[in-house]
Amino acid sequence: MNAFIDFIMGPMVWIAFLIFILGLILKIVLIIKDVNARESYIYSYMTLKHSLRSIFAWLIPFFPQSTRQSPVFYSISYIFHLLLFIVPIFLTSHIVLVNEAFQVSWIALDDGLADILTVMVVLALVFFTIRRVMVPEVKYLTSTKDYILILIVALPFITGFLAYHQFFLYRPMVIAHVISGEIMLILIPFSRFSHMIVAPLTRAYMGSEFGNVRHAKDW
Amino acid sequence: MKPWKRKSINRESKMKQKVIFMGFILFIFTAVYAFSNTELERLDNSVFEKPQRPSAVFEHDDHNEMAEIDDCAVCHHVYEGKELVEDESSEDSLCSDCHSLKPDQENSISLSVAYHKQCRDCHFEENKGPVLCGECHIKE
Repeated sequence: MNAFIDFIMGPMVWIAFLIFILGLILKIVLIIKDVNARESYIYSYMTLKHSLRSIFAWLIPFFPQSTRQSPVFYSISYIFHLLLFIVPIFLTSHIVLVNEAFQVSWIALDDGLADILTVMVVLALVFFTIRRVMVPEVKYLTSTKDYILILIVALPFITGFLAYHQFFLYRPMVIAHVISGEIMLILIPFSRFSHMIVAPLTRAYMGSEFGNVRHAKDW
Repeated sequence: MKPWKRKSINRESKMKQKVIFMGFILFIFTAVYAFSNTELERLDNSVFEKPQRPSAVFEHDDHNEMAEIDDCAVCHHVYEGKELVEDESSEDSLCSDCHSLKPDQENSISLSVAYHKQCRDCHFEENKGPVLCGECHIKE
C-alpha cells in the first residue's frame, strides 16, 4: 500500500501538473490557431491597451455594472475563487510536503483558520449547486456535466477536511484527497475549468471590440 | 395456548436474552477500554513554539522489536559535515542538538524535516508503517 501512496504522492503529482500546464498552453495555441483560421480580422482592432483595460476593470470587485445587479452571487463567487487558490497554496501540510521535496517554503495559514476557510469553499459550492437548480435562467444553461464539475472541485476540499479531522477511514480519505486533487488539475485544460486562462482572452476581445470599435465601456 | 405459539414465544425471549447478554459484554468492553490508561507514547515536541499538529505517536521499543532494529545508529546517526560516521551513534544527545527549528548553515535539515524524512523514507523503502500525516500525528 505504501508503494501506491508513494506513486500518487510522487510521480502522479508531476504527471498531473504537467498535464495541467502543458494542457493549458495547448489550449491557448489551439484557440489562437482557430482565430487565425476563421476570424483573423479581429486583430485589426485588438489592442493591448483596450485588452488590459477590460481585464483590470473586471478584476475589481463590483466595478462592472452587471456584477452590482447580483451582489450576493458575486460576493460568494469572488470569495470562492480567492479561497480556491489561497487555501491549498497556503496550507501548512502542503507547504511541508513542498519543503521536503524542494527545500522551499512560504508563509502558512493557521490550521484552524484553514479549516474554516475550507468549510466556506464547500458552502459556496453548495450555493452554486442550489443556484443551478433554482434560478430558471441558470438552470436552462445547466447540464449534468456542470454538477459533475462542481463535485470534482468539492471532493478535494471535503476529503481534505475529513482527513484533517481524522473522523474515519483516515488512509482511504487521504488517498481520495490526493487522487481527487490530481483529477481536478488534469481536467482543468479539458473542461470549463479552463476559464482560468480563457476568461482573460474573452475580456481582451470584448474590451477591444467595445473600446476600439464601438468606443464604449464593456463593464 | 397452542404448542407452536409457545415455541415461537420461547424463541423470541431467548433471542432477547441473547441480545441483552451481547449488549452487556459490549458495554463491559467499552468501559474497560475507556477507563484503561491507554495513553499513547508520543515524541517530545516541546521545542516547537506553536505546533500545528499533535505530537507524533512513537512507541520506541515496540517499533524496534517489530522492525527488528538492534543497531541504535540506524536512526540515531552521527554526521560529520555531509559524511555519515559509521559505527557511531547519537542516542545520548537530543535530535534538536544538531537539527534546529529552521535550516541553518551548520545543518540544512530542520528538526521537523529530519523527523519526517527519517521515519517516512524508511517506511516507503520497507513498504510498511505509517507514511501519511495523520498516521503519526494522531488526534489527541
